[in-house]
Amino acid sequence: MIAILPRRMGRTGLGVVSIGLPILLFVGLSLQADNFLQAQNIANINSQITTLLIVALGQLFVALIGGIDISVGSVVSLSSTLLVMVDPALAVPAALLAGAVIGLANGVGVAIFGVHPLIMTLAMATFVQGLALLMMSGSGGTVPEALIWMAKTSFGGVPVSFLWCLAAVAVTAVLLNRTRFGLHVYAIGAGEQSAAFSGVRIASTRIACYVICSLAGSMAAIYLTGRIASGDPTMGRPFSLDSVTAIALGGVLLSGGIGGVWAALLGTLTLGLITNGMNLTGVSPFFREAITGVLLLVAVSLHRRKVIGI
Amino acid sequence: MSEAASAPAAQGRVEFRNVTKQFGSTRAVSEVSFSGRAGSIHAVTGENGAGKSTLMKMLAGVHVADAGEILIDGRPVSFPGTAAAREEGVSTVFQELTLLPNLTLAENMFLGREPRRYGMLDRQAMRRRSRDALASIGIDIDPDVTCGDLALSEQHLVEVAKASVADSKIVIYDEPTAALDGPGTEKLFRLIEEQKKAGKLVFYISHRLDEIFRLCDTTTVLKDGAHVATLPTAELTRDRLVSLMVGRELAQMYPPRATKAGGAALVVDGLVARSGRPGVSFGVKRGEIVGLAGIEGQGQRDIMRAVAGLAPGISGNATATDRQGAVFPVGSSIVANTRAGIGFIPEDRKSEGLFLSLSISQNIALGMLRKASMFAAAVIDRGRIAALMKQMAVRARDAGQAVASLSGGNQQKVMFGRWFSADVDLMLIEEPTRGVDVGAKAEIYRLLREFTENGGAILMTSSELTEHIGLCDRILVVREGAIVAEIEGARATEETIMTPALTGSHGERAAA
Repeated sequence: MIAILPRRMGRTGLGVVSIGLPILLFVGLSLQADNFLQAQNIANINSQITTLLIVALGQLFVALIGGIDISVGSVVSLSSTLLVMVDPALAVPAALLAGAVIGLANGVGVAIFGVHPLIMTLAMATFVQGLALLMMSGSGGTVPEALIWMAKTSFGGVPVSFLWCLAAVAVTAVLLNRTRFGLHVYAIGAGEQSAAFSGVRIASTRIACYVICSLAGSMAAIYLTGRIASGDPTMGRPFSLDSVTAIALGGVLLSGGIGGVWAALLGTLTLGLITNGMNLTGVSPFFREAITGVLLLVAVSLHRRKVIGI
Repeated sequence: MSEAASAPAAQGRVEFRNVTKQFGSTRAVSEVSFSGRAGSIHAVTGENGAGKSTLMKMLAGVHVADAGEILIDGRPVSFPGTAAAREEGVSTVFQELTLLPNLTLAENMFLGREPRRYGMLDRQAMRRRSRDALASIGIDIDPDVTCGDLALSEQHLVEVAKASVADSKIVIYDEPTAALDGPGTEKLFRLIEEQKKAGKLVFYISHRLDEIFRLCDTTTVLKDGAHVATLPTAELTRDRLVSLMVGRELAQMYPPRATKAGGAALVVDGLVARSGRPGVSFGVKRGEIVGLAGIEGQGQRDIMRAVAGLAPGISGNATATDRQGAVFPVGSSIVANTRAGIGFIPEDRKSEGLFLSLSISQNIALGMLRKASMFAAAVIDRGRIAALMKQMAVRARDAGQAVASLSGGNQQKVMFGRWFSADVDLMLIEEPTRGVDVGAKAEIYRLLREFTENGGAILMTSSELTEHIGLCDRILVVREGAIVAEIEGARATEETIMTPALTGSHGERAAA
């Protein structure tokens, strides 16, 4: 299966599974569920996956350097809390600042003090989730009007959630493919020592990846809080695991160096289609949660390969 | 200590002044002083572990000197990283490949110094300049190809091209020909000659005498981290250079060879260690030390690891005979080997051999307890360990000291102690003295000989030819996975080993 792939797939992580699975799901659902192809449902899928896509693109940076960020879900929760609790003028800056600080702490812990990323971000996840619940014990609060507008409006029939996706993908693509930073991220993921020999600054690049991931968490919260028009201190719970599962499904190598925007996008789409399909066919949402765990395992096993010697 | 400084200081592009580097308790480089001038090719040579690479890595910005200073064009420099060194015009072709398999060729060439336009990567410039650099050394590879898809020899050439694109005045090559084939080597030599003509200083690390005599203007010899001599290559002969490198009588280092060999301890028959490789057959007798020699990467390690059961062979047979005469198969798994009384000493003792955070006695006791059942109480025989430590002259505070804090030589002795205490009678040893200082080397050689005198047998590999020549009773030369020559230890010389190792035949003598 791997052998028929063109060599030019390089480090994108794309493969038969990551491309074929969403197509298969799409075709299958169009045949099985009558209302799947209706414009309303497609728009639903789009708005449902927007949050996950933003978080997954953040997670992508961390995965590319061989790390993992379990705390990004908690960042979504804390940001959502801040958005409804601070002065409306400061809501967005406060959420972004919180994301930046948490990402910086994660990055410094991992890159400077050598804490294992799983431990560092697991500890951070617990800590930040606790903070969010301390500030606000249940969902509610008043979301600034501007945020609701930013998540719910549409331009000439194009829902704004689509623009959110487009912007997130564009920013990630430019960062990864057009800047030195992006090249250095791939280099570190493939071999830290060699990258250092070539003059790549390892620590600052790694820290930047964790900061980007947390900022993506804050951005996701800004969108989602506006969309549901309410703050929620546990809003981010599913996103830590789901973002890892999504990029793994898309073919991103969790040990680093392989993956890209397309992989993250297709993986998110796959997960979104699975969720949507279960909704349409009336499967319990808890089953969706159970299957995510299985999918992660399947995704990692399916993509376990040595494409270009990593 | 130095015999002569080759060039007046005024001409020195690089000058080392009393440069010292310490790793833990071993002094890798000790007060080295010499200088190299612009527009010359300067060989840095010496045995393995002489400190060649460490010294050059200080100039390349990988290590920072503990003492002394490095001057470039008369100005003291200190590089916190390779990027800083490159800024000053030092580019390096490292011995270990630094190409990243997920980047394209062009990306690899410019990693860390990417050309930019409007703040973004200038991929066009990267492609164009890569193609030019590759063309200049006569290779034609698409700069957009992912490096992981290239053959190993191609990767090494790209590595060389990578150093040549840098706008440098000093170029360091660390054993560049190790992975190159004949035509690749010729391309490299032409490039180096051009760099010399362009007025660059080229440091050429190698212990291949032919290359030094063919290429280099000046030769610096290091030994055990210290500077021995810096001389114009024209004033040297092969014999003189070898004696400068070895610097001591081999006879003093090595114990006498076996006087008598006993029955078979290990018989290997048609063992294919890796697919595509030929089968090998050989034996090791009691009382013997047999070495698998050859150029690195020719399959010695595969054979050793197949016999050890770490990477079981594809086909063929290996059997061992214990002291009672019982014959049993070996190589199916390392655990079965160990339980049957075969000790394995890996080349990387820190990751594959020792438990660094555990004590000396715990590390040794693992061997003693090899036959104990899993749930039996682990009783450590302290008297036995104390006696062993004394016999092996392990220098440590006491048996409770953590192995991590010992010097390389003492760690290696603990490794041997594990198998001595386990009463094994066949030992498979990779690199018996890697990273061990000279004094401890002699002691380890004595211990190994004592082991075989008492009826043990040893199969070993080593990247040091002198070790094969001094220690082994028989040397099997491996080339492309096949045993191409068998040489009696007492008659072996560097030449009699290297000729079959390089050419596969003994008929012709190596061109000198």
